[in-house]
Amino acid sequence: MAGRALFAALAGVSLVGGIAGGLWRLGVAVPDPLAFAWAGQVLLVHGALMICGFLGTVIGIERAAAVNQRWALAAPLASGTAALCLLLGHQAAGAWLGVAAAVLFLAVNGLVVWRQRATHTLLLAVGAGAWVVGSLLFALGQGGDAVFPWWFAFLVMTIAAERLEMTRLMRRWPAASATLPAVLSLLLAGAAWSGADPRAGGILYGAALALLAVWLVVFDVARRTVSTHGVSRYMAICLLGGYAWLGIAGAAWAAAALGWPTRDIALHALGLGFVISMVMGHAPVVLPAVARIKLRFGAFFYLPLAALHLSLLVRLVLGSFSEPLRAAGASLNAAAIVFFAVTVAGAAIAWRIQYGAEGARKTR
Amino acid sequence: MESPVTSLVLPAAAPFPYEGPEHLQGPLTAALSRVVDPEVSMSIVDVGLVYGVTVNAELVHVRLTMTSAACPVIELIMDEAEAELDKVVPPELHIRLELVWEPPWSPDRMSSGAKRFMGW
Repeated sequence: MAGRALFAALAGVSLVGGIAGGLWRLGVAVPDPLAFAWAGQVLLVHGALMICGFLGTVIGIERAAAVNQRWALAAPLASGTAALCLLLGHQAAGAWLGVAAAVLFLAVNGLVVWRQRATHTLLLAVGAGAWVVGSLLFALGQGGDAVFPWWFAFLVMTIAAERLEMTRLMRRWPAASATLPAVLSLLLAGAAWSGADPRAGGILYGAALALLAVWLVVFDVARRTVSTHGVSRYMAICLLGGYAWLGIAGAAWAAAALGWPTRDIALHALGLGFVISMVMGHAPVVLPAVARIKLRFGAFFYLPLAALHLSLLVRLVLGSFSEPLRAAGASLNAAAIVFFAVTVAGAAIAWRIQYGAEGARKTR
Repeated sequence: MESPVTSLVLPAAAPFPYEGPEHLQGPLTAALSRVVDPEVSMSIVDVGLVYGVTVNAELVHVRLTMTSAACPVIELIMDEAEAELDKVVPPELHIRLELVWEPPWSPDRMSSGAKRFMGW
């Protein structure tokens, strides 16, 4: 119980710090960044807090639950602590602890591959390797242009590998299995090339993201499960919405490499539109498994999801024409995430009211 | 790890190998069919995750697999299976759920209804 609270606190602090850093970047002061001695630090490490601190910790907890080994929790413990160090201004300690977290996570994935040698488990391990590379570059003082492609490759490959696993339920599995590693190889090549030649590397990386969006739309089970009901349909809608943003992110990433002012669209269509939409989709299923919190699923889960996607339209489409609209969109992005957290808390309370405290304790 | 197959009760429509008293086969199959993989809205029986059920004088032994070793809901599905089995298994029998990875799951194990749903 105390362990779960610790991990929730680490992920929560990373998320709050990451969101605050993101908002301060766009000039949205909530609260005034000058009131904090380490505000500059938070501004600098927004990406590290969101990707490694929050998502890395959440994914690390999820994978530790899958392998059911206590030592596997060392990875999310390290990534959460690394985020805390970064927040408090201990840049070097945070960065190198982040490297340790990624290496530990790679080891956990090695165990998964050892248990089940399959294309999707190998891709998960390669994704963990991308996290290691990105974190090493970050610790060595490289900038966002070199680091972000690797960190996003970690997230994108993790999601893509998990979706590949699901496509085995569909008939087109052989074609899906053959093409996905090729698309993800392009992504990694784009990430590697971005360090040396940001223009060529960025175009390749963007093209790989767009191709992945096409792959997911064609092969993913979400196109079938969207016609079901309840949580399965909700998950499918989260996934399909995310794939649309992934395609947009790919185009924007390539355009940014060509000098267009689309960097914010590329990073946030990917990080929020694709990844956070995926997190919202899986939370009703994964949270009960890893946090032992039962949730009552209901149509109300669609409200924060709609808020996220609408706020992204404000930020990334309308915001292209006006900086104040971009900042307003970013504030609404943050509000959508908070709204989702409140929805999850409400769903947990609703379950407890329906089934009683005894049932909640049993949550298994 | 594989059970001997000599005394299997395996009617034509049986979704998984079953060895044990005939009167328990229906309730046990129904109980496992109530456990749903939330991602695809199909029961673990339809997806073909149940490798076999053996019942003797003391024990109901269920062998289950998962489609992925990286799946975080493995324990949740196992717990739900245990809870559903608990509703139909006579109190004098223990329940043992075993997670197995061999032979690896393949789409061949899916029921015809599940395959139809997934566009096969």
